[in-house]
Amino acid sequence: MTTVPGMGLIRGMGLTLGRFFAPKATIMWPEEEADVAPRFRGRLQLLYDEYGTLKCETCFQCAQACPIECIDMGGVDTRGRFHVHWGPPETYGERREESAMRRAGRPVADPAFTRFDPMDVTPVNAIAEEHDYEPKDLLPMLEGIQAAYGYLPVAALKQLSRQTGAWYAFVYGTASSFNHLRFEPPAVTTAAPAGEALRSAEAGYVSALDAALGGRPTR
Amino acid sequence: MTAISRSLGNVTTAGRIVIPLLLLILVVGPLVTVFLATVIGPWVSGVVYSNLGIVRFVVAITAILLFSIPAAFIIIYMELKVIAYMNLRVGPNRVLPAGAAHSVIAGLKVLTKEDFSPSSADKTIFTWAPVMVFLTAVMTFMVIPFGPGLVGAPLNIGLLYLFAVGGMTVVGLLLAGWSSFNKYSLLGGLRSAAQVVSYEIPLTLSVVGLILLAGTLSIDSIARQQAGWFWDWFVFRQPLGALIFFIAGVAEANRTPFDLTEADSEIVAGFATEYSGMRFGFLFFAEYVNVFIMSALIVTMFFGAWNAPVDLNAVLGYFHLAPFWVYLDPGQLGLGLLLVLAAVPLLATLALAAPVYMLRDNMPAWKALLIGFVLFNALLIGALGLVAYIDWDWVAGLVWFMLKAFTFVFVFVWMRGTFPRVRIDQLMGFAWKWLLPAALLNLFVTAFAIVILKSAGVH
Amino acid sequence: MTAPAQPGHPHPSLDDPRIMLDGQIGQYEQVPPYPPRTEREAEFYTLGDGEMFLNMGPQHPSTHGVLRVVLKINGERVVDLDPVLGYLHRGVEKLCENSDYHHIISQIDPLEYVSSLFMEWAPVMAFEQLMDVQVPRRAEYIRVLTGELLRIASHALFQGWMALDLGGLTPILYSFIERDEIVEMLAAVTGQRMLFNYFRIGGVNGDLNHEFMSRLGDWMSRAAVQHEANIGLLNENEIFVRRMRDIGRVDRDTALRMGVTGPNIRAAGIPFDVRRAHPYSVYPELEFNVPVRGSNGSGDSLDRYLLRLDEVRESIRIIDQCLHNMPDGPVMARLPRLLRPRPGRAWAAVESPRGLFGTYVISDGTDQPFRFRIHDPSFVNLQLVGMLMKDNLIADTMAVMASLDPVMGGIDK
Repeated sequence: MTTVPGMGLIRGMGLTLGRFFAPKATIMWPEEEADVAPRFRGRLQLLYDEYGTLKCETCFQCAQACPIECIDMGGVDTRGRFHVHWGPPETYGERREESAMRRAGRPVADPAFTRFDPMDVTPVNAIAEEHDYEPKDLLPMLEGIQAAYGYLPVAALKQLSRQTGAWYAFVYGTASSFNHLRFEPPAVTTAAPAGEALRSAEAGYVSALDAALGGRPTR
Repeated sequence: MTAISRSLGNVTTAGRIVIPLLLLILVVGPLVTVFLATVIGPWVSGVVYSNLGIVRFVVAITAILLFSIPAAFIIIYMELKVIAYMNLRVGPNRVLPAGAAHSVIAGLKVLTKEDFSPSSADKTIFTWAPVMVFLTAVMTFMVIPFGPGLVGAPLNIGLLYLFAVGGMTVVGLLLAGWSSFNKYSLLGGLRSAAQVVSYEIPLTLSVVGLILLAGTLSIDSIARQQAGWFWDWFVFRQPLGALIFFIAGVAEANRTPFDLTEADSEIVAGFATEYSGMRFGFLFFAEYVNVFIMSALIVTMFFGAWNAPVDLNAVLGYFHLAPFWVYLDPGQLGLGLLLVLAAVPLLATLALAAPVYMLRDNMPAWKALLIGFVLFNALLIGALGLVAYIDWDWVAGLVWFMLKAFTFVFVFVWMRGTFPRVRIDQLMGFAWKWLLPAALLNLFVTAFAIVILKSAGVH
Repeated sequence: MTAPAQPGHPHPSLDDPRIMLDGQIGQYEQVPPYPPRTEREAEFYTLGDGEMFLNMGPQHPSTHGVLRVVLKINGERVVDLDPVLGYLHRGVEKLCENSDYHHIISQIDPLEYVSSLFMEWAPVMAFEQLMDVQVPRRAEYIRVLTGELLRIASHALFQGWMALDLGGLTPILYSFIERDEIVEMLAAVTGQRMLFNYFRIGGVNGDLNHEFMSRLGDWMSRAAVQHEANIGLLNENEIFVRRMRDIGRVDRDTALRMGVTGPNIRAAGIPFDVRRAHPYSVYPELEFNVPVRGSNGSGDSLDRYLLRLDEVRESIRIIDQCLHNMPDGPVMARLPRLLRPRPGRAWAAVESPRGLFGTYVISDGTDQPFRFRIHDPSFVNLQLVGMLMKDNLIADTMAVMASLDPVMGGIDK
């Protein structure tokens, strides 16, 4: 407060009049665009290496780590068999649903979406219950399923995902990380003698090669 | 002939109807014109001259209604732009250069908006309240002299009329607030009633001293008494009165820092909360028309009305120069007038375009010619304006009046850009505890001074 | 539940008591539409002679977000009031309990969007306690530096909102220009303008860079002058001072009893500042005063306003010292990517621009916290409105609320 009443008002008016003639702070968008900081992180970017190939190796870690679930990844595994997806499932389903694609006039080409035969999933339920539906115990559960079916049927994996609450991509990823788990029924077992013969024949080829090459290379 | 008949054969059905109609108009039009000029025209002028008072009133009302809308547009644009500049912003800048037509476009937008009323509102009053607010604002224009002789109704009790009609605005605001059936509107309406009625008293009392000095209630006569140099203005004889009038005028016009009726941070938009479309537009226009009226009143009462701050005749007399007038009689030129009319625009355009074309690189000829044409027109308008300013005193008066009035509009906008709002109790306390005693003091001091000076024989 | 259409009724909405038709003006249902649940509610919703309810918010132009205050007014005077919260409730605490320790930083970031670095600071400090992480000294200095910058930005914004709630149009624009300079500066070092997501467990995301330092130096050279110029518009303005003085008085005992923190308690005459009372980071090494006002028992809105301006001056001092004492070294401690702290609990509090902002975390040994709780200063400070708004005018309710400087994001969590 100033001593003379009204002085503060007049000084304020003086300040605004000064600012009236001062340069303006407006950024004249859209003629002029604001700078984006070099460290700006608010964009999704797929980086390429110097050979022009994608650096992304599809590890799903970004989709897993995204706290607001704005990243979702999907794809078909290398043999084009099983569809893997990480992210909010409902949007994904809406976008890629068969009927939606037909409505859009596009062919439903993705073989990974073919329906699987109905199968009995009670063993899966039992296994899941035995492990208390704990998604951190996926490996023993998957081993149990393989012991029950002989392999890991897709329907069983889906059921396991539904039971434990883990994403299907998580289940599939865990299953594909271990060599002793398989996704297809083991090949038709041939008779043991034939197998023996094959194995002995193989051994013969190996020993012949050893002889030709002058012994196995030492490590 | 063949060409014409062939083209006539090619016209469409619509064309076959339109072309005879056009021919008919070509034939009948001159006849009608002659008839209007010889028969109707004299009759009309006879009626007009026999009822000059009524005609003058109608013309004045129409002119004022037509003037109030662009005046409001200009003030709205000023408000947007000036406050933006004080805020270190740029403000409207899209429609025309510097956004000059922004407020006009906003007015058109208001016209196209849906005009609805709340289901619980008192629809009749709700509809007519904005009209009342707007019309009372416009009616006060009738007695404001924009220049010597440029006054709608030269009443000899102009000031009385002014305060009577100006006080009616509050009725419209109160009706708008009450009929909206909204608590914010009700609060806004009641606030405006309390505020305007309280500030009406110091506003009127502050002018009484001036009335004593001037000895008249006629605004035109008050304006004429301030002719001469700027120290003849009443502000230097009634400084306290001018200050009180200004402050109370700000409150009367509901402007910051006394804009409690539409305090957006307290009662959303006050009485205008439920209004939309052109009804809101009327309220909005009325606010800005009120701003202009208040500035015009301050200028008329205290800042010399239409009089220039410098007495031109006195200055010329000091330098032993006669006041000059420009006499133009185009008839003197005879046939040369046609030559002048034909040749001067062309030559002047070329003459103005030539330096532009020569001094600037990469200037296409058509662009230089366009610039020359624009420059020529600007110069012509300037010259004509100068002649008009010198020849007709109402032009000079209008120019000075508008300059001063918009200076005060700028001050109003400037205050809006600077001040926060006062509280309702501070507002009322200020009116009754400070302004009213000060106005009374002003009145008594003026009266005493007049009595003493008269008894001393000084006028 | 609308009743099924009956013969004679063309449309079920005619039976719906919530839909008012033209002929039914005046037949209002009771406010609220349910019978009162508590004595206080029954008392509040009983109108006396000449009283009416006025609903301020959640979409009112000046309620600082989505706070709703039901005022019971008699003319222009507020007789009673009932604040209603929860329009912005997002369940941040539960969200944090379901995300791992790194995620929590980004989950809690938008809690108080005006000063988001402080929202990161408290949980990060709590997690560091849980995991026994030693934060490098350079990282601590960077945290203090950026935090004090953001405190200035927050207080500058407060000044503008304060004026806007009192009807001044211009100061908010000056405030935003001042804030924008600081925010651009922080964007240079953090990458974002508003939700910085910059602090990490064990340090900060990136070291200071050249753009930040040049902007900061440029700003520091004129910060004090610019600050004084901007506050000149309000501090000496008679209208502003008269509106702020003697409204919203908080005395020492009330402030202590209500658990108020931050500038609001310091304006009531109690020098409580977490930076001095429970020192954290490198604040013990820095020289600054804890400004106190209202020791003579005034503690009104003007004191709260002026105190924040004093704090800006102290913050400029702290930034200056940070720049002079900034050590070299790493900005991030070495940590495993997946954090699994041992089971335990930790509490950490920082002095945010609004007061003591604290987080309490219980770990059960997994990578997600078992419990995560937030103590938000705005929420505690907002309790005062019940006392301060009463018996004032409608115009003062806004002034009082703005002087407490609440941010609804933190209140509704």
